[in-house]
Amino acid sequence: MFLEIHGLTKSYGAGENRVEVLKEMDLAIEKGEFCVLLGPSGSGKSTLLNIVGGIDRADAGEIRIQGERMADMDEKRLTRYRRKHLGYIFQMYNLIPNLTVRENIEVGAYLSEKPLDVEEILHVLGLYEHRNKRPDQLSGGQQQRTAIGRAIVKNPDILLCDEPTGALDYKTSKEILKLIETVSRTWGTTVIMVTHNDAIRGMADRVIRLRDGQIRSDERNAHRTPAEELEW
Amino acid sequence: MRNPLHKRLPRELREEAGKYLVILLLLVLSIGFVSGFLVADGSLMAAYEESFEKYNVEDGHFSVRKALNRAQKKAAESCGITIYDNFYRDEALTSHDSTLRIFCRRTEVNLVCLMEGEMPTAAGEIAVDRMYAENNGIEIGDTLAGPDGSWTVTGLIALSDYSSLFSDNNDAMFDAVQFGVAVVTEEEFANFSADNLIYSYAWKYDTAPVDETEEKEMSDALMEALAGEISLETYIPRYLNQAIQFTGEDMGSDRGMMITLLYMVIAILAFVFGITIRHTIAREAGVIGTLRASGYTRRELLAHYMTVPMAVTFCGALLGNVLGYTLGEDLCAGMYYGSYSLPTYVTRWSGEAFILTTVIPVLMMAVLDAVILLRDLRLSPLKFLRHDLSRGRGRRALPLPARLPFWGRFRVRILLQNAGGYLMMFVGIVFANLLLMFGLGLPAVLDYYQETIEENRLSEYQYMLQMPLDTEKEGRKLESTLSLLYFSYAVQTENEDAEKFSAYTLTLQQTETRTEEVTLYGVEPDSRYVTLDAADGEIYISSAYADKYLVGAGDTITLSELYEDTEYDLTVTGVYDYEGAICVFMTRSTLNALFGLEEDYFCGYFSDTEITDIDEAYIGSVIDLEALTKISRQLDVSMGSMMLLVDGFAVLIFVVLIYLLSKLVVEKNASSISMVRILGYTEKEIRRLYLSTTTLVVAASLLLSLPLVYRLLVVIFRIMLITSMTGWLPLVLEPVIYVKMFVLGMASYGIVAVLEFRRIRRIPMDLALKHAE
Repeated sequence: MFLEIHGLTKSYGAGENRVEVLKEMDLAIEKGEFCVLLGPSGSGKSTLLNIVGGIDRADAGEIRIQGERMADMDEKRLTRYRRKHLGYIFQMYNLIPNLTVRENIEVGAYLSEKPLDVEEILHVLGLYEHRNKRPDQLSGGQQQRTAIGRAIVKNPDILLCDEPTGALDYKTSKEILKLIETVSRTWGTTVIMVTHNDAIRGMADRVIRLRDGQIRSDERNAHRTPAEELEW
Repeated sequence: MRNPLHKRLPRELREEAGKYLVILLLLVLSIGFVSGFLVADGSLMAAYEESFEKYNVEDGHFSVRKALNRAQKKAAESCGITIYDNFYRDEALTSHDSTLRIFCRRTEVNLVCLMEGEMPTAAGEIAVDRMYAENNGIEIGDTLAGPDGSWTVTGLIALSDYSSLFSDNNDAMFDAVQFGVAVVTEEEFANFSADNLIYSYAWKYDTAPVDETEEKEMSDALMEALAGEISLETYIPRYLNQAIQFTGEDMGSDRGMMITLLYMVIAILAFVFGITIRHTIAREAGVIGTLRASGYTRRELLAHYMTVPMAVTFCGALLGNVLGYTLGEDLCAGMYYGSYSLPTYVTRWSGEAFILTTVIPVLMMAVLDAVILLRDLRLSPLKFLRHDLSRGRGRRALPLPARLPFWGRFRVRILLQNAGGYLMMFVGIVFANLLLMFGLGLPAVLDYYQETIEENRLSEYQYMLQMPLDTEKEGRKLESTLSLLYFSYAVQTENEDAEKFSAYTLTLQQTETRTEEVTLYGVEPDSRYVTLDAADGEIYISSAYADKYLVGAGDTITLSELYEDTEYDLTVTGVYDYEGAICVFMTRSTLNALFGLEEDYFCGYFSDTEITDIDEAYIGSVIDLEALTKISRQLDVSMGSMMLLVDGFAVLIFVVLIYLLSKLVVEKNASSISMVRILGYTEKEIRRLYLSTTTLVVAASLLLSLPLVYRLLVVIFRIMLITSMTGWLPLVLEPVIYVKMFVLGMASYGIVAVLEFRRIRRIPMDLALKHAE
């Protein structure tokens, strides 16, 4: 198994204000799987993503990635882990304002020993003609495409997407989903996507529904619906 | 692959050109000045030290009433020395209100360094000391006239035995305005009347002493031996000769102050950088969170955010050094040449100056900024992603009283939001005001001293009598007694204003290496000049003494005999209000008893009118107004020109700091400013919201800093006087100085405020909308 999660528990606050966000969660994800985490606000999906991404720590439980225990990793090893294995896409694009599109993507490429070809990525993402523009000269969709480029250029094993279409309109959201789908298919990247948009579930191999920090359902799609055909 | 983040650096520099340029300017100027100072100091110090050998400087000199005959010379040289004629005459110039000490051209000892022009070659020609010439506006080709002749100036020189122009070795301070030295040809010198000549002889030991202790021993032995052979008028070994030694002691004493000033500027700039970087980090929190989440290490980000400040510092240090070795050095050497008659020098590369002005500032900047940055970068990527850079859990907004009007609440919020920046602004203002108070205050202090000392002195004239050195000859008791008897008779006066006093000179250990001479006065119990009402056994110190060394009634002061181990512990009864000198008062009988002197011993007169009936030969020195104001006049000449520079630098620091920090306040709130503009606030209201807090902080900082800076300056001034000067100047600042400081500070802020108005006006309305991202 590529990613194994056992008894994962996480809470925030103390005393009366203590909120248990994840409750002894178990989960296993295979390599190359496209996994969608669905759930309302506060269900624990972003927290789960952040712990898998090594930017938050669990209170209890264990995560193994390719057999390596994350709990054993100190700060340095965690950074190395993220550098080597992960690509991140957030709702906020967080692009570097005074770098061009191309340079923002290169920021991701720099982290990898075997990065993908930046030119190719620019073409795939439809950003080639905008490559020399700065983020403030781009639309929201173009900015998010650049953020995807930055995440995938390092050829990560896992692509973690936290509400990647949350700030985008319908048409642009579909474009972005198509791109993530392409990435998953083209490079066999494992994708874990957090969303509260129920319609997106169709494009995943697996749909995990969360509520109150627990997995309420874990279904496999027999047939994936292409992103192009998704409607909401 | 090269880190693509590097591509941001030139853009960052371009986009923030204003900010980095002002910081660079401040760095270049401070480092340039200090490096110039250190290089000039080092080079001149080397030139000064080498001058002893290069110009064959004497080991000492003595003077006698009549020129020595061959037998006397032979007898003197039998004491292990070679002696050289170094006769001179003191000419009171009528063309320039000053005294010129004219020597015959030297060929063997105390050689002359020609700085400009030519040495005199014929009668009627003269070469004068360069600094004295500058201070009196004398140029080559000018004519100097005295009562007995006139001379054409052919050259400007430095005499190796007069690097500090002390006309009298007992003076508290040298005087390069009213005293100068010069040389004429042998032919011209021969024309001088023998009556007006001072028969001074320089000596060199046949075997040079190895160290100072041996030098002192040799000198003491020599004095004893010479006194047995000839009748000495003065006897000054080199190590006691202020005209030679003072320069070396004083140079270098400013080093510590200069380096401290530099490091204070660097530390302030490092904090300013730290604050601006923190602002950048807060602005780019999302980016940093994403980069950290993607695997960028903390070190990579630290290096990234430190590169520009470090590059600016490095460039500042580099350019500062270039400036230091060119203009700075000339400027600082000029300052020394404005105080001392130093020979020409060659610029020397100083590794120490490079470390102090380049390596240490760059390291300081690196360490301070790294500490500030690491503190922030230690936060988890998640916190960055959430734009939550607070350290504590659940930091709440400070509750403000509901009664506080909206504008007041708003200002308090801005104040709290920028507390760090405003604190730095306060520190910077204190620092700049310290420089400004020094720059504006010193000339005022000197003026005040000159004005008040006239009213404050003990008497119009103070005569110190001088017993010829041959009155106490061992083994010739009869001759000595006769001389003493004659002396007692010769120093009586008919002047009714004259009042006898006895005096004794002891030394006070100023610092480990400096001593200060303290005159102890024994005055009449009912003295009209020193109105003490002291009983026998009571000891009073002058207020100058009390202020400089922070001693008062009940304290014990320890004074020691000059060059001896004997110490005197005196318990202070009270302080006598006298700012003119570091001295001690007691009754004449107390003083005479303390030092084992005859009961009716006295050695001087206080008088409000000139005493004319005592032979000048018995008057060692006259302390008049001119003598008392030497310290202030000399400080004015040597430091006065620098004060304008200090003022300018202080204003620059004001402008730069206030500019950087108020810019930050506006930038931090750019999106809010844009939003309130959308809401319909007018430009004036927006300025009131976002600039008035800065205005208030600047005004409050300026006002609050004044008493603080005054206290700091009192301490610094005291240290400065203790470490590098004898005597005392009370630090009295007139209220107008404070007004000037406040006005200058607010005017500097005015310039910045105009720039900030423009910055605020340029913030577009759509910024708030874009920032929703």
